[in-house]
Amino acid sequence: MPTDSTTSAAWRRAEARLRDWFAQADRRPAPFQRAAWRAWAQGQNGLIHAPTGTGKTLAAVGGPLIDAVLRPQTGLQLLWITPLRSLATDTAQHLAAAVEAMDLPWRVLRRTGDSGSSERAKLRRGACELLITTPESLALLLSYPDASERFARLRGVVVDEWHELIGSKRGTLLQLGLTRLRRDLPDLRTWGLSATLGNLEEALHALADDGVLIGSASRKRTHIDTALPEGGERFPWAGHLGLSQLPRVLDAVTSARTSLVFANTRSQAELWHEALASVWPESPDTLALHHGSIDPKLRFATEERLRTGTLRCVVATSSLDLGVDFSSVERVVQIGSPKSVARLLQRAGRSGHQPGQPSRILCVPTHLLELAEVAAARRALNEGHLEPRHPLRGCLDVLAQHLVTLALGGGFCADDAYAEITTCLAYARLPRHRFDAVLTYLQTGGSALAAYPEYHKLVETDGRFSVESSRIARMHRLSIGTITSDGSMQVRYLKGARLGTVEESFLSRLRPGDRFLFAGRNLQLVRVRDMTAYVRAAPNRRGGVPRWMGGRLPLSGELSDELRRTLADANAPESEMKTLRPLLAIQRKHSHLPGMDELLCERVRTREGDYLFVYLFAGRLAHEGLAAVLAWRLARLKAGDYGYAVNDYGLAITAAHLPPLDGALMRQLLHPASLATDIRASVNLSELARRQFRDVARVAGLVFTGYPSQGKTLRQLQASSGLLFDVLRRHDPHHPLLWQAEREVLDQQLDYARLRSCLVRAARSTLVWREPKRLTPLSFPLWVERVRGGIANDDWKQRVERMAASLEANAS
Amino acid sequence: MTAHIIERAGEQLLLHPERALYWPAQRMLMVADVHFGKGAVFRRAGIPVPSGDTLEDLRRLDTLIDHFSPERLLVLGDLIHGHATSRSEWVAHVRGWRDAHAAVSVELVAGNHDRHFDCRTLGITVHDDNLRVGPLLLAHHPHTDGQGYVLAGHVHPGVVLRDGWRRHRLPAFCFDATTGLLPAFGTWTGLHEMAPAQGRELIAVTPAGLVPVPATRAD
Repeated sequence: MPTDSTTSAAWRRAEARLRDWFAQADRRPAPFQRAAWRAWAQGQNGLIHAPTGTGKTLAAVGGPLIDAVLRPQTGLQLLWITPLRSLATDTAQHLAAAVEAMDLPWRVLRRTGDSGSSERAKLRRGACELLITTPESLALLLSYPDASERFARLRGVVVDEWHELIGSKRGTLLQLGLTRLRRDLPDLRTWGLSATLGNLEEALHALADDGVLIGSASRKRTHIDTALPEGGERFPWAGHLGLSQLPRVLDAVTSARTSLVFANTRSQAELWHEALASVWPESPDTLALHHGSIDPKLRFATEERLRTGTLRCVVATSSLDLGVDFSSVERVVQIGSPKSVARLLQRAGRSGHQPGQPSRILCVPTHLLELAEVAAARRALNEGHLEPRHPLRGCLDVLAQHLVTLALGGGFCADDAYAEITTCLAYARLPRHRFDAVLTYLQTGGSALAAYPEYHKLVETDGRFSVESSRIARMHRLSIGTITSDGSMQVRYLKGARLGTVEESFLSRLRPGDRFLFAGRNLQLVRVRDMTAYVRAAPNRRGGVPRWMGGRLPLSGELSDELRRTLADANAPESEMKTLRPLLAIQRKHSHLPGMDELLCERVRTREGDYLFVYLFAGRLAHEGLAAVLAWRLARLKAGDYGYAVNDYGLAITAAHLPPLDGALMRQLLHPASLATDIRASVNLSELARRQFRDVARVAGLVFTGYPSQGKTLRQLQASSGLLFDVLRRHDPHHPLLWQAEREVLDQQLDYARLRSCLVRAARSTLVWREPKRLTPLSFPLWVERVRGGIANDDWKQRVERMAASLEANAS
Repeated sequence: MTAHIIERAGEQLLLHPERALYWPAQRMLMVADVHFGKGAVFRRAGIPVPSGDTLEDLRRLDTLIDHFSPERLLVLGDLIHGHATSRSEWVAHVRGWRDAHAAVSVELVAGNHDRHFDCRTLGITVHDDNLRVGPLLLAHHPHTDGQGYVLAGHVHPGVVLRDGWRRHRLPAFCFDATTGLLPAFGTWTGLHEMAPAQGRELIAVTPAGLVPVPATRAD
C-alpha cells in the first residue's frame, strides 16, 4: 500500500481541510492528534493513549480521512471496532460528522448484534466505506466464504477502548480476527485507542507487531477529595455500604449541575439509588440508576438524558466507566474503595470536560480502613503507578471457535493456520501439540466423544479443513458472541416492558409474590417462564437486592503495595491518614502495625472460637486460595474443622481450637514450597473447574446455548456441561478444554501468580507474631466477613464430644 | 453413646442413632418416613442423584433387625415416596428384603405418601388408622386425641447445632409432653428445624451417635 510523504503539498492540503473543520469549532488539533495523522500516512501501526474526552477518536480517524481525500475509492476502507454495541451509535454519529467535514462520499454503517436487517443487507452488498462493529461481529463476517473479497480494499482498523478488551477473551478473539485480516492484507494499518495503562508497550504489541505509542502531552490534573467523618462521629470499622455518609453525598450531588455516583457492585448501586431517592429534594425523574443488568433501552434513555443535561444525578457501576462523554457532568462521587488506580483515574475523568479544568472525584469511604486506600490511591496516581492489563495467553476455547470460523470462511491447512495464529501475541508461545489437540477435538470431539457425530465439526479433505454440515455452520454462527453472555434471566413487567437481567441463581431463590429491588424499582415476582421473570410494581420493598456473580473485584497489586506503604508511614500528611491515626494507634497498642518488610499474624481467642489472622495484602482472590492452603496445612498439623474468611487485606482461619502456634511455625505454614501441590489438595479444584468448564465449553462450541427463541435454562446448560465435564475427566483426561478450565480457575479465580509472589515476599519479610486480647482494627473487618469455606479432617466422634461439652457448658 | 433411653407413659423406649426407636416391652422396632424410591422420582425428573439409596436404607434396616431381633417392625407412615410400578427396580429390592425377614411382622401406619403404592403387595400389613398399643398411640400425623402418648413421624424433625464456626443441621428425635416425633429414616429426606423449648427433649442424631440438646441451649 503506498504511503504518503507528509511533507507533500497534497497531504498538507488535505490535512488543512481537517484543521479548518477544527477551527470552525474554535479548536486546534492537539500535537498528539497531528502526530497520529502523520504516523498513519507513513503506514505505521500505533496505540493512542490519552484520558477520555481529549480527542482520541479524531486522532485516529484523521489519518484515514486524509488518506481517503488523496486516494478516493469505494468499498470498505476502514474498520472501526468498538467493545460496546451501545457505543456504536455515538461513534457512528461522531465519525459521520468528521467524514462530512472532509467532504468525503463515504457511507458509514454499523454492524453489531442489534443492527437492523436493512443495515445488514446494505452491508452484505458491501455498501459502505466505514464500518463500525464489535469483535464478535467481525468474527461473524470472517465466517463467510466471501470474507477476503469483502475486506479486499480495507486500509486500516481502529480498535476503540482497547483497554476494555485487552484482558478478556473478546480481546483474544479480536487479535485472531486481525491476524486473519493481515494474512490477506500485509499492509493493513492497525491502531488502538486506550486509556492510560501500566503496560502500554504490551498493549500495542498485542494489537500489532510494531508501531508507535502516541500519548497526549497534556496530562489532565486529578483532584481526589474524601468525605471525611467529622470529629466525634462514629465511623464503622467494617462494612461496604457506607450509607451513613448519605448526607455528605447528597450535599455534594446537589451542589453540582450533574453528578455521577459510582458504586462498585450492582447491588450497592441499587441500594444507594434507593437511599438517595428517599431523601431526593427535587423531581424524582432527575435521579437515575445505570448498571450492566438494566435493559439496554432503559440504559440508553438514561445516557441520552445525561447528554441533554436533564438529569441531576446517576448512580452507576462500571457500566458508565467507558464510552461517551457527558459534558454536563461536574462532579463524580466514588462509593467505597475504587480498588484500582486506573479505574479511579478513569472515573474521575468523567468530570471537568472544559479545557484546563481538573477532574475532581469525591471518594466516600464505607469504613475506616478505606480512608487509607484513598490516600494510597492518590499517592499511586501522583507517582503514575497504574495497573497493567495483560492480554490473555493461549485460550484454547477461543482458538477452537476461531478455527471453525476459518474453516467456514474458506477452509485452512493445519500448518498454515498454526503459522498464522502464532504470529499473534495471544498464541505466540502455543506449543504445536496443544494446537493439534484442539484440532483433533474439532474433528472428533476427542476420544470420549468420538461416537457422537454432533461433535465432528471439521472435516479434513486433502489436508484442508472445512465444515460440511450446514447445521454446524448455523450453530457456530449463532454461538459466536456467546463469550459475553452470562446465562441470566430477563426481568419484565406483565405488560411487556423489559427492565433488564438478573442472574438465575438469585431468581431461583424467589417465590411468586416475593418482592425485591431492581433497576431502582420495587418489584414483585409474578411468575417465571421461558427464562423470563414477570414482575409487577410493588408498593414497597420487603425483600432483598439481587447479587450478581463476580461483584467484587480484588484490590489491585499497585494499590495494595501503595496501601502497605501508606499504612506503614507514621508521618503520612494526608487528611485521611490524620483521621485514621487514632485507629492505627489502637492497632499499634494492642498488636502491631506492619512495616513494609514485615508480615503480621495475629491470634485472637473469641467466644465463637479461635481465630488466626494473616495480613498479606494480596487481594481477596489470592487470599481465598491461600486460606484454603493454610487451613489444609493446619489440619495436617492438628485434626480439626477449620473455616476461613478473606478480605482484600488478609485472611482469617477459625476453629474451635487452633493448634499451638508461634512465629516460627507460621513461617513454615506460609512457606511457598509445594504450594502448587497443596493448592490442588486443598481447593476443590475439580469442582471449581467444573463450573468454569461451562463457559469454556460454550465458547469452544462443545455445548450449544440454543436458538435465540428457545434458550436453554442456565441450569440445563450447567447440567449438560457438567455431565460432559465428568465424562471427559473420566475417559479423556487430557482433553484440551479440561486443561483450559483448570488453568482459568488457577489464573483468574485464585490469582495463583499473585498468591505465589506474595508468599515469596512473605518468606523474605520479618514475621511478627501477636496474640492480642481482643479483636484489632485490622482483624475486625475479617472477623465480620462471612466464612467462605472450610477444610475438615476431624471425625464425628470428636465433633460430638465438642458439641456435647459446649451444650452442657451453655446449659449450666 | 450408641443408644439413649427415654421414658414416656411409663414405658421405656430406646432411641437408636440409625434414626429408629425400639420398644423392648413389645419387642417392637419403629421407624418413620422411609420414602423408598425418592431417588428414582428425582431421577425421573432429570435431577441426577446417585442410585442405590433404597439398597442403602434396606441395609440399615437389616442391621437394626439383627441388633434388636424384634417381633414387629412398624413404619410410622411414608414408607413409599412416589408412584411406582411393580417393575420398578427398588420395588424388587424391597420385596427381596421382605422375604429375607419372613419371621418379622412388618407393618405400616399409612401416611400421606403411601397412597401412591399398595404395600400389601409386598407382604406388609397396612393399618389405615392409627394403632393403639398399650398406653401409646402410634400414628403418622402427630395429632393427639388426649387418649395416650403419641409416637409419630411426618414432621422430619431436625435441629441446628453449632460447632465452632460451622453449623450442623442434624435429624433429631423430639419428645414433648404429649407427642414423640421420630426423625425421618430415609436417606433422601429433608429436615424441619425444631427450636429447643422448655418441656421438650431434643436428641440430635449424628454419624457418631446421639447428642441430647438441653432446653436452655444458647444459640
